[in-house]
Amino acid sequence: MPSDILLGVDNLGVAASIGGRSKVVLDNISFAVSRRETFGIIGRSGSGKSVLAKALIGWLDPALSVTGGAVSFDGVDMVGADAAQLRAIRGRRIGYVGADPTTVFDPTIPIGRQIAEKLRAVRPEVGHKEALDRVVELFETVRIPDARLRAGELPSKFSGGMIQRAAIVDAMIGGTELLIADNVTQPLDVTVAAQIIRLFQMLRNEVNTAILFISSSLPMVKNIADRLVVLEEGRVVERSTPERLAAHPETAYSQALIAQIPRIWSREMAHPAVKADAATVLSVQDVKRNYRVRNQRSLFGSVSIQAVRGVSFDVKSGESLGIVGESGCGKSTLLRLLTWLDMPDAGRISFDGVDLGKMSRNDRFHLRARLQLVLQDPYGSIPAHWTVGRIISEPLRLHRSMLASERRTRVTDTMVEVGLDPGLYSKLPVGLSAGQRQRINLARALVLEPAILLLDETLSALDQTEQTRLIALFERLQSARGITYLFISHDLAMVRRVCSRVAVMYLGKIVELVSNEMLFFAPQHPYTKALLSAAPTLEESPYARDDYLVEGEPPSPLLIPAGCSFANRCPQALPVCRQQEPPVHHLPQGGIVACHLAGEDRVT
Amino acid sequence: MVRVTSFLLRRLAQSVVIVLLASLIVFCLLRTGPGNPARMIAGGMATEETVEKIATEMGLRSPMLVQYFIYLKKVVLHGDFGTSFVRPKSGASAVAGGRADDPTRAERARVIDLILDRLPLTLQLAMMAMAIALSVSIPIGLFAGLHAGRWPDAAALMLSSVLVSMPNFWLAGILVLVVSIQLHWLPAVGYRDVTYSILPAIVLAIEIIPVLVRSLALSLGAMMSQNFVRIGLIRGLHPSQVIYHHAMKGASVPLLNMLGVQLSALLGGVLVVEYIFDYPGLGALTIEAVLQRDFPLIQAIAMLTSAIFVVINILVDLLAGLIDPRLEY
Repeated sequence: MPSDILLGVDNLGVAASIGGRSKVVLDNISFAVSRRETFGIIGRSGSGKSVLAKALIGWLDPALSVTGGAVSFDGVDMVGADAAQLRAIRGRRIGYVGADPTTVFDPTIPIGRQIAEKLRAVRPEVGHKEALDRVVELFETVRIPDARLRAGELPSKFSGGMIQRAAIVDAMIGGTELLIADNVTQPLDVTVAAQIIRLFQMLRNEVNTAILFISSSLPMVKNIADRLVVLEEGRVVERSTPERLAAHPETAYSQALIAQIPRIWSREMAHPAVKADAATVLSVQDVKRNYRVRNQRSLFGSVSIQAVRGVSFDVKSGESLGIVGESGCGKSTLLRLLTWLDMPDAGRISFDGVDLGKMSRNDRFHLRARLQLVLQDPYGSIPAHWTVGRIISEPLRLHRSMLASERRTRVTDTMVEVGLDPGLYSKLPVGLSAGQRQRINLARALVLEPAILLLDETLSALDQTEQTRLIALFERLQSARGITYLFISHDLAMVRRVCSRVAVMYLGKIVELVSNEMLFFAPQHPYTKALLSAAPTLEESPYARDDYLVEGEPPSPLLIPAGCSFANRCPQALPVCRQQEPPVHHLPQGGIVACHLAGEDRVT
Repeated sequence: MVRVTSFLLRRLAQSVVIVLLASLIVFCLLRTGPGNPARMIAGGMATEETVEKIATEMGLRSPMLVQYFIYLKKVVLHGDFGTSFVRPKSGASAVAGGRADDPTRAERARVIDLILDRLPLTLQLAMMAMAIALSVSIPIGLFAGLHAGRWPDAAALMLSSVLVSMPNFWLAGILVLVVSIQLHWLPAVGYRDVTYSILPAIVLAIEIIPVLVRSLALSLGAMMSQNFVRIGLIRGLHPSQVIYHHAMKGASVPLLNMLGVQLSALLGGVLVVEYIFDYPGLGALTIEAVLQRDFPLIQAIAMLTSAIFVVINILVDLLAGLIDPRLEY
């Protein structure tokens, strides 16, 4: 029925003009979205998804222009529309939510006022107070807790998940007929992303809005879209439904896209078991770290942020230990403590049996040669104006006295080892890909032949192909040199592939520390199960979202409630959980879990 | 409002320390630097003993910190900034009276009166300069910032470059020549009524305008490229809402900071400009006081200016914090 079509895209083409030359960005795109339908668009980063989203609402960058075709929204030609026509549609009939919700709002004005301002701009008949009430009402609908209070807060007080909910409210509040959601789950933690997907499912069912859901992740789209198209290099390569695409991808591109989606449960994993007699390299005992910040509500007071609240674990020589947890769980603070960039308030960190706190400055300096760090951001962690050779040789200059020629050999050897072309030695890192930059980072850490490597989200900025290659490299290095790895990550699939043991952190504590197999097949802690249920995968997860996914977000580290810190979100919380801190249980199969329920609630 | 009260209390406590430190430094520098006020009073012909006697009478021979605390005690307890070394109560300066036993000594002018006499004129000049500067630079800066990277931006930059490269003493000369002498539009020298402030104010304003224009153009240009501004139209806001409620609000904080700095600099600029126009303000008084080694007067002016600087800074930070509540008070 043609009358039922809300958005029609017909042979749309978009080109970028760079330095007088024209480059095709989108070519011959056609699809149609009916009223109340949820339509998915998937494709890798760089496939033109975001350009498409912006072309639909006439918001292309000045360097981009529509070269042909048509976009019609309910009969209005969006390509040729003038400013007044666009104003009558954008924000009123079409809502747009992007990947970076933190920049949607003016940082100096409370969010509720900004959304009310928008509502009054598109519906002038709504009164001031009425508008604010409507915002609060919708905040409640999208499950923002304490809606009235939160509406009065500045955007900076919102977490990523909460501000994304607020941005969705902002996009929908005028009574929009079409909601364009461009990669909305991309910056979010897994459990939060899963909650947002759940929210979209609810919107689809309860609100009469068509949704155009654009994502790079099929597992995300699968849960909500009725139909979808696959985008590659600006072209539609496949039209399908999520189920059909997951089961029978027709084109090579779709097949590759699906093959790259991480498997957690269905793939056999072989992890070299850590030798029982392996020595302990790194030992962390009941480490705590608080930060004091000024309390703006009082004259001279300060409040304490409990970032790490008593963490203990041992790392054995030659093993790969994973530490997983969501934003704000304290994993980055822990890493700063392990590298002694920051000192714990209490507890002990020892390396090869020697307490770091009791070492002299000089000894700690030498220790750093054996304990190296590889950071997350491949761009910010490399000085842009140094040659690659200079960057990698820097640690050698600091820690080893050797001839320049020896140093050069050592650096080029390391470059070859990590898969970098030695020809890059005297080049600047300008123009290198994220993967190559991460290899430079890795070479810089490896050149001192460290005993232990701390990897802080090292792979998260890379695509799946590059990740797979680097993981293979890590394994090779481990068997050749016996390096010990500590992976800090939020990516369960990556941890599943590389780690022998995994610690799960929540609000500054380790809630579960078990072997890889145990974690994925017999998790004990409800939070671990929630993480597993939220993992984006096409597989049938043993932990169904409806049963295990938790609502809400962790409490603020400023105000940690009594008892178990997970109790306010835990679906199985008992009265005791809200009163007593759970004890650490040692599991018969090895490993530990901190939960009152452990022992009664075994999943095997 | 706990936040604002706590901010004000902390900053005022800090500023007391700053003003005291500044006055201590000026106090010590004056007394260690060249130039002996006792010699100036006694006159070139007086004997060394006479000079010594006067110096001791004036308290200049006690240990420096003792002198400072005696001074401070008077200032804090009685609001008494002392009397001028050289100026008689009647008005005209009385340097180089050769007699050592000057009978008018007790009749010397009170420093506080001297300052209160001149301060309003300087404040009037500064406010007028600021008003002229703002009324010129805000429209130009906004126009340039809204068209960042295009011709209005380039034109504003060019105008700023021209204005910034004109020295104030040269500009003052030209203005006097053209506006006063040839056109007879405005008076140039001295002070009789408010029209005498206009020319010096224009000279002062022209020094500030380029800075304000650049600051506003850059910060507004940066705001216009912020996502929350660009996405405003997509959210359904009216273009004027986006510009006035969001972009200009954000750009006003850097402008405000710049205004604070410029207002402080203005009080320095006043020194030269008042001298050129023979404008009887605080700047001219300062120059005379320095030339005459009139320690109590210099001392009081220094304390006053540092207090003005500190207050301006507190006000700027307070306003900035009200505009952008994220700023840490």
